[in-house]
Amino acid sequence: MKGRTKIILAAAAALAAVGGGASYAATAIQARTADQLRATGLAGEQFNGYMGIVNDAPSDIRARVNSINITRRAAYTEVAGRRRVKIEDVGAAMACEIFATSILPGQYFMLSDGIWRQRQGNAPVPRPSYCG
Amino acid sequence: MNEPMIQARSMMWVAKPLIGVALATTLAGCIELTAPERPIEINLNIAITQEVVVRLAQDVRELRETNPGAF
Repeated sequence: MKGRTKIILAAAAALAAVGGGASYAATAIQARTADQLRATGLAGEQFNGYMGIVNDAPSDIRARVNSINITRRAAYTEVAGRRRVKIEDVGAAMACEIFATSILPGQYFMLSDGIWRQRQGNAPVPRPSYCG
Repeated sequence: MNEPMIQARSMMWVAKPLIGVALATTLAGCIELTAPERPIEINLNIAITQEVVVRLAQDVRELRETNPGAF
């Protein structure tokens, strides 16, 4: 009995600790689409056309990002085959498109230097030179 | 009264060195890895030309429409 009480108390303490970040977690759990994931600030867009994890994101966010990247990879592969270019080329072209249109103020992006940056206000997101 | 307790304790005296021996043999079975003499080079500079990116612009816009939520 004593052991069980201890476990229950520990669980309650853990729940209380999580409670502090409840609103943050709620938005994160609901994030399913790429734009919703970008809005959480836990995931961002990379120059290679794939999403990445920005901070210490919870496992459900990681799983969603992975799933989206698998979909993207399949889409890039299909176009690459049809247009006779490399898969990386299609990814890069998509990154140019996403960087130009879909990263909102405060959201994260990563260029080839591997550093996550936040879009500052309405300033245009810097893009790799090959974006044209 | 306390005999089973004493027995259990003396068992531990026998068991402790045995655990040590078991650990030692497990560690002895480990494969030793040495770093290669030359560092492994991973080239991250993928050459992407503007010409290809421009040519794919329409294709990637279509991808966004056919895969809602993924981009």
